[in-house]
Amino acid sequence: MSEQSRAAQRDVPEQLERTLATEVSLRSRLRHVAVGLAGGCGAAMIAVLWATEPNALPTRTQAVYAGLIAIGLAWAVFAGWVLSRRRPLFARDRVLSARIALAATVVTALAGVALAAVRGSTTDLVATAAGGVVFTAAAMLTLARARRRRRELLRLRDALRQDAP
Amino acid sequence: MGNDGLLVVRCQLGEREAFRELVAMWHPVLWRYVRGMVGSPHLADDLAQEAWVAVVRGLPRLRQPERFAPWLFTIARRTVTDHLRQTYKAPETAMEEATTVVADDELSGVLTTMQIEAGLAALPPLERKVLILLHLEDLPLASCAEVLGVPAGTVKSRLHRARRMLRNLLAEKGYEA
Repeated sequence: MSEQSRAAQRDVPEQLERTLATEVSLRSRLRHVAVGLAGGCGAAMIAVLWATEPNALPTRTQAVYAGLIAIGLAWAVFAGWVLSRRRPLFARDRVLSARIALAATVVTALAGVALAAVRGSTTDLVATAAGGVVFTAAAMLTLARARRRRRELLRLRDALRQDAP
Repeated sequence: MGNDGLLVVRCQLGEREAFRELVAMWHPVLWRYVRGMVGSPHLADDLAQEAWVAVVRGLPRLRQPERFAPWLFTIARRTVTDHLRQTYKAPETAMEEATTVVADDELSGVLTTMQIEAGLAALPPLERKVLILLHLEDLPLASCAEVLGVPAGTVKSRLHRARRMLRNLLAEKGYEA
């Protein structure tokens, strides 16, 4: 039997199937979405806490706050890199992730506004509310774009199925 | 667009079972293409897997599902080229030829796939790629040019040269053209 005929008969290697199963894993994608959101939302909450402190904080405490914010943002950037390069989101994943992101953003914005209302000045409250509105609007826009892309693909899939013999 | 396009769209949607079908459909073709350019079947396994990973990672950004085949071969070519660069520590020189040579179809009706494959291993990489894409994978000239990243005229000239080299090789082995 020639190498060519052996190649034609070979199935997809198990190693390749395992690798691709990992590559397309929805769980891995959602894990990175969760990590990114936790990092970003956590950093935002710490920033609100810091901004609404009634008294000037000691230098060491300020350094801790800054460090925590940097760590949260670093996790958000890392998750963004993974989701754009290593585990890109497919259309359905994008819709699911955008819904989760919208929910997380709304909860974080409300919590931030509540904190600012209790602890901060009117300026702090307005600034926090404005930030919350901006991030929530961005999350809604992301969800709308994800749904539009999924609708386009669904229409294309249905059209191709009708054309198929 | 056909069945290929439907599978690609299902993958872009995120239907996980469609990936298995897509890979089952295209892996033998991809493997054979890669195998034609590298020395060992094991290396072809590794490079094909590397190419598939790149395909899965790039699939959400593929805007034209009907262009999947040339896109797939382009990724495979890049994967093999990167590997060869690392192996030989010398970038592959792109041979741009201004002259367009009319395709020589003298051998088209004579050589079989088996005969072409028998002589492929002895050809230089550029000529080997052209013959694999045009003869073994049946890609049209325009798609072949897209995969190789050169003008259609260059593909024709490479094809002409590859056929001439292959004819000489096969003649040396005793095949009658």
